[in-house]
Amino acid sequence: MGIITSFLETLADLARQSGIAGFLVDGGWKNIIMILISFVFMYLAIAKGFEPLLLLPISFGMLLTNLPYAEMYHPEFWDYGTITESSGAVNDHYIDYGRILQHGGLLDILYMGVKLQIYPPLIFLGIGAMTDFGPLIANPKSFLLGAAAQGGIFFTFIGAAVLGMSAAECGSIAIIGGADGPTAIYVSSRLLSKTDNIGVGTIALAAYTYMALVPIIQPPIMRALTTKKERSVVMGQLRQVSKVEKLIFPILVTIIISLMIPSAAPLVGMLMFGNLLKESGCCDRIAKTAQNELMNIITIFLGVSVGATTRADKILTIQFGEVILLGVIAFSIGTACGVLLGKVMYLVSGGKINPLIGSAGVSAVPMAARVSQKVGQEEVPTNYLLMHAMGPNVAGVIGSAVAAGVLLSIIKV
Amino acid sequence: MDRCFNDVAQLLLKGTDRHLDAGTVSSVVITGLVVVFIGLILLILFVTLYGLIFKNINDKKAAKIKAEAEAAAENTRKEAENSARSAPAAPMEIEDGISDEIVAVIAAAVAAMSAQSGKKLVLRSVKNAKPSRSVWASAGIAENTRQF
Repeated sequence: MGIITSFLETLADLARQSGIAGFLVDGGWKNIIMILISFVFMYLAIAKGFEPLLLLPISFGMLLTNLPYAEMYHPEFWDYGTITESSGAVNDHYIDYGRILQHGGLLDILYMGVKLQIYPPLIFLGIGAMTDFGPLIANPKSFLLGAAAQGGIFFTFIGAAVLGMSAAECGSIAIIGGADGPTAIYVSSRLLSKTDNIGVGTIALAAYTYMALVPIIQPPIMRALTTKKERSVVMGQLRQVSKVEKLIFPILVTIIISLMIPSAAPLVGMLMFGNLLKESGCCDRIAKTAQNELMNIITIFLGVSVGATTRADKILTIQFGEVILLGVIAFSIGTACGVLLGKVMYLVSGGKINPLIGSAGVSAVPMAARVSQKVGQEEVPTNYLLMHAMGPNVAGVIGSAVAAGVLLSIIKV
Repeated sequence: MDRCFNDVAQLLLKGTDRHLDAGTVSSVVITGLVVVFIGLILLILFVTLYGLIFKNINDKKAAKIKAEAEAAAENTRKEAENSARSAPAAPMEIEDGISDEIVAVIAAAVAAMSAQSGKKLVLRSVKNAKPSRSVWASAGIAENTRQF
């Protein structure tokens, strides 16, 4: 009899400690909803091909973090504390990394790379090693289109401020308009804290979802803002860029941008370092590692740990709806600003520039450039705008990193 | 100057600030756009400047190479005429789609090398090279860049 009682008690203990019991405690139902949402994102990634390389790790991180008692991620470890530094200065953004290393779960440890701003610059290293800045060097005016498309970031800042959001939330939502996932994560992880109603995961989800929707969001805006005549412009061939020019470019950009906006240095510096590795021709092994293995490893760490921050208390809120709404506005305004400046350049150049390449200024490399190519070919099937659109596209990457640096310089945590 | 720094200092926001007033928000928007444009316009100036310098250098190099190629082509023509008189040459294999001008330029380059090395080089065939990056490699790069 004693054996049976002991057996039943053990079973009851196991049941109480199980994750299933965790769903039944106060607020446990929210985790079930979050798990269901993670299934939706997994479906979008696998079946619909929505940015699967990032959306799948993010959605799986979302699943792991919402399993009760799995203890893989502890949001309370990431709350800012206040300490007095040895210099006497009071630091109200203190995170106890020693505690995280000792008691944190796997996803806590991986999330350190996000919070310490390690992953986004390393992703930029890989992007730089894959990017050919030749079209931008051949036509430096493309920089203007990359700058104009950042209008989406700053105009969305107004929208977020109107909704009464904090300066950190405004900056984090606005950066979605840059259409650059690593930059959005970089800015939001630096600005957002527990007191904000949105989290890094929310921003990342919105950013990558909209980046996946570039081919759907951009074309109607591009068609609405341009005439058939403008869309039919066939642009001349770009000049050949020498190897020395390609070698000077990353060094020049790093120096100018980092001196001007030091907060943009980690992103721009690593982007250009990756590009220099590629263009130098003497570091093929390192360049290939940055393009492939390193990039893939960081993508896994970044995706799954950012997904872990998507807890019910940050997602099942009205603010999440506001982020989604403002995110699409940011994206649309960015596209519109690029196309409008493209129209100005069309007029100034006497009809030699196709304004459709302006929409590619929103980063999202190379998807946005492909959209310019596709919409251009709808008018003239033999028109090949891809290389011309790659100029504003890569300029947009630099532009969004600069815009991120500006936001981080203006908004202090 | 002091006033300028004061204005910038006033623009700095604390992350927790809520209900930002219209003046602050417009300052952020204007400052942000102006700084991004100034940064990228500076890059345009520098890239255009060194682009012009290199274009100039490359044009000079191209002109020199062209002059050498023309001289070499003239020599080749003369040599070809001479050799045609002495013995019939084996027919040159030229792939479809390659123009006579390209063949002439390659022949000129070979003749120039021939003149430099002192060895008699013969152009036997002209074929299109296969692309350095295979279709699979291109597809791999496209796949890896898709998420950005």
